Amino acid sequence: MRKTTTTLVFTMLLAGGASLAAAADKVTLQLKWLPQAQFAGYYVAQAKGFYKDAGLDVTIKPGGPDIAPAQVLAAKGADVTLDWMPSALAAREAGVPMVNVAQVFNRSGMMLTCKKSSGVNSPKDFKGKTLGVWFGGNEYPFLSWMGTLGYKTSGANPDVKVLKQGFNVDPLLQNQAACISTMIYNEYWQVIDAGVKASDLVTFPYEDQGAATLEDGLYVREPDLKDAAFVAKMAKFVKASLKGWDYALKNQDEAVKIVLAADTSGGSTAKVQKRQLENVATLITNANTPKMGVLDPAAYQRTVKVLLAGGSDPVIKKDPGPAAWTHAVTDKAMAK
Amino acid sequence: MMALLASGPGLAAAIVVLLALAVWSVRKLAALDEQSALGRFGTPVVFGAWIVVFWQILTEAFDVPQVLLPAPSLVWHSLVANGGVLLGDFVQTVVHSALIGWTTGCALGFATGVLIDRSAFLQRGLLPVAALASTVPLVGIAPIMVMWFGFDWHSKAAVVVVMTFFPMLVNTLAGLAESGHMERDLMRSYGASYWRTLVALRIPVALPFVFNALKVNSTLAMIGAIVAEFFGSPVSGLGFRISTEAARLNMGLVWAAIVVAALAGSLLYALLGWVERRATFWHPSFRAAAG
Repeated sequence: MRKTTTTLVFTMLLAGGASLAAAADKVTLQLKWLPQAQFAGYYVAQAKGFYKDAGLDVTIKPGGPDIAPAQVLAAKGADVTLDWMPSALAAREAGVPMVNVAQVFNRSGMMLTCKKSSGVNSPKDFKGKTLGVWFGGNEYPFLSWMGTLGYKTSGANPDVKVLKQGFNVDPLLQNQAACISTMIYNEYWQVIDAGVKASDLVTFPYEDQGAATLEDGLYVREPDLKDAAFVAKMAKFVKASLKGWDYALKNQDEAVKIVLAADTSGGSTAKVQKRQLENVATLITNANTPKMGVLDPAAYQRTVKVLLAGGSDPVIKKDPGPAAWTHAVTDKAMAK
Repeated sequence: MMALLASGPGLAAAIVVLLALAVWSVRKLAALDEQSALGRFGTPVVFGAWIVVFWQILTEAFDVPQVLLPAPSLVWHSLVANGGVLLGDFVQTVVHSALIGWTTGCALGFATGVLIDRSAFLQRGLLPVAALASTVPLVGIAPIMVMWFGFDWHSKAAVVVVMTFFPMLVNTLAGLAESGHMERDLMRSYGASYWRTLVALRIPVALPFVFNALKVNSTLAMIGAIVAEFFGSPVSGLGFRISTEAARLNMGLVWAAIVVAALAGSLLYALLGWVERRATFWHPSFRAAAG
């Protein structure tokens, strides 16, 4: 009799436990690129159980070449996506109602890297040269900058010849382009690793050129924010993700190990990811402070100004206003 | 969804009527004599037109967002508004990459076929290697060609050459083997040399096979030229336009580029079919129906 009762109670507890786990809120996060230290916070939050502790069952979908986060969000392939502000605002104008709920990187890591031997020493020298640019949502800061410099990038006689760059630095190494788009934490180091000396390169960080726009941030679809349960779920997700970032930046070696484990291709090394994480850390100056992850409206306005100033071909045609971002999720995350 | 519900019964009735009209008109045209122009072209044209009509009605009725499926009117507007850009893309992809690559690839395939036919040594040695080369996937050679030939249309043409080489080679060989014993014996009795026999008998008999390969290769050339542009290109080209505008969620322009590519491919195929009919009129496949 006692044995039966014990077994019965045990089974009920197990079933209860299982149903509790099954009741965890599902969240799908679409990242912007392949697994790398640029997204350390999310992988760390998953590996260290921060999402589980918050009652969330998070699926992280890696991005890649030709995967546009805005497109995935529009097609409802994810609940929340990591994207850059220019791409999100352009998507808003195209009819996809994306809203920023958290801004993780507060500095821009984009940089144009040129070989000194191509004759480029300053932005004046871009005229007549071939410049490599990523597309799929990453071309907007570049197009804005060229617009402010007054250079035409398309049409029959462009001032600057644009090359659709793939996900490597070959155009620079093969001298097919004078300059290529690089991130200070990734492609720039690929060029150095390929044997080019830093003294042979001249770089133009977008922050220094006044062309910087807000980069990695979390975006959701506007209609979803009308559901209070969704906002609560996102608040838990953002809080756990920011906790993951705080942990990753304080424990970089452990974070690198977690990121390498998430990279199923096995293509990267600890040295590359460690260097990437160190450089990413310089873009998150609010880590481990209450301002972490909260979008600064002034920074938002600066990004909008850069995008509207793109000369005859601006990335966005009108100011999207405060509808493109919200503090509702970060406020709720902080309050908990 | 609200729009549909609001006009529910009226819209449903209209669609039923249009559906009946569409079915009736297509069946009437299909029953016409195949000899007249109206009989041959009427059915597909009207069928296609009805598909566009229903596409337009359904995207509007169900308020389908343009990022999922743009209405034909939006595609038309994008086509007209971006005509200049699409013309530039057409020249880059179809005229430069596809046509030049296709001509080069087919010429090389044909020449290699003739050479292999002449030399048994090449037949045993070169053919298996060519067969192996044909199995390399397009997405594998495209980045390598970009590294070898640069970002411009030359690398895309190189990809098309690789894709079209083998089908042409195989078809040339099959065609050269087609000529009958009687005909070859006749040429021999006339004292014709190998090359004379080749030009006067064997190549004309091989033409149906060669045209088959040319038509297949025209499709492969379009595919190769467009897909190769996904791996690095200057800022023009149909493949470039489709991939970048899709990422910008500009679906009207994406479909407009698709329409241009489809039209170009179809026209090329139709042109080849017309030339084939003139050149190989004697082939049994072109005989008219009896009676």
